[in-house]
Amino acid sequence: MEIIFGRLDNNNARFTLTETRTAFANAFRRAMISEVPTLAIDQVRIYDNTSVLFDEMLAHRLGLIPLRTDLTTYVPAGECSCGGAGCTHCTATYTLSVEGPRMVFSRDLIPQDPTTAPCHDEIPIIKLSENQKVVLEARATVNTGKEHAKWQPTIACGYKNYPEITFSENCDGCGMCVEECPRGILTVKEGKAQVVAEKQEECLLCRLCEEACMAGGIGSEPSIRIKGDETRKIFVVEGDESLPVQEIIERALMHLRQKSEDLHTIVSQLSGVT
Amino acid sequence: MIPVRCFTCGKVISTAWDEFKHRRESGEDPAKILDDLGLRRYCCRRMLLTHKEIVDDLNPYQ
Amino acid sequence: MPATYKCARCKHKVEIDVNVRCPYCGNRILFKERGAGIKDLKAR
Repeated sequence: MEIIFGRLDNNNARFTLTETRTAFANAFRRAMISEVPTLAIDQVRIYDNTSVLFDEMLAHRLGLIPLRTDLTTYVPAGECSCGGAGCTHCTATYTLSVEGPRMVFSRDLIPQDPTTAPCHDEIPIIKLSENQKVVLEARATVNTGKEHAKWQPTIACGYKNYPEITFSENCDGCGMCVEECPRGILTVKEGKAQVVAEKQEECLLCRLCEEACMAGGIGSEPSIRIKGDETRKIFVVEGDESLPVQEIIERALMHLRQKSEDLHTIVSQLSGVT
Repeated sequence: MIPVRCFTCGKVISTAWDEFKHRRESGEDPAKILDDLGLRRYCCRRMLLTHKEIVDDLNPYQ
Repeated sequence: MPATYKCARCKHKVEIDVNVRCPYCGNRILFKERGAGIKDLKAR
């Protein structure tokens, strides 16, 4: 099994996972989405809110703001030495105090620990007009996407089978498949259809080209064939900036290893083999 | 208020609202603005396209 | 302690609320004012 990166920056990754199976690829995807912890605001104490938004809506908006997370300093509340009571190792606190008229942005949320500042400064929270006021205190905890989607470190995170496109001898270069392809990955060269260089991975496996193929008559095989290779997966991972994508990938893999080791221990205990 | 994140995929889209609003008001093509703002998926695009801001309408009733 | 209200038309504070009517302008629509209490919420 190997990971070949096509693209990797702080927020986006695109890679091919080779010699794998759908079961593993899906476990990996699910681990990235729901097992990698991040910080998100969970408790809000509202001292005053005379804005047009209800307290609950305001709290919900605060919860959705992605926060920079350093998992070496913050641990999930359940694993913390304070026993989940809330200390500086599992909880980050913020204060917000704004009087109108003006827009309240995520940068107005003042963190006690500056390393846990919101990832974006410009998220509008609520627009205040004359004589309106919001004063509150918020507590963020580390948790996973399993508990609530606001703790997911990923946005778009998915995979597809590696597309394999083959052309048979019968291709007459009519160009119907070229016109039909929504990604424009096909072209006609020297009377034969072929894949545009470097664009094979962009194939959606939609097989519209197969339907459009005119090489044979009705009922005969199309001369273009699309197949998804189940042993190779193209992954796309997009982060919400709370964690770098590389860390999400690493932590998800560590989680999978831990889970399989735990299973191994339990099974060997049950069967009496040590 | 514009939702903080896209309902479907969870991308933070509220940061793009201000620019989107101003550029649309100045008569630009919404499709081009959304492309510039890096909103590729149609779930995120509809968040901005179909949003109606009503905070200012609610203010007199507070 | 009687709850405090605010008249929807003249924005005066209304204290006693036996008859639902603003003593200053006679308007019958009153808004309840926000209490002084602190509210703890789950952000979900």
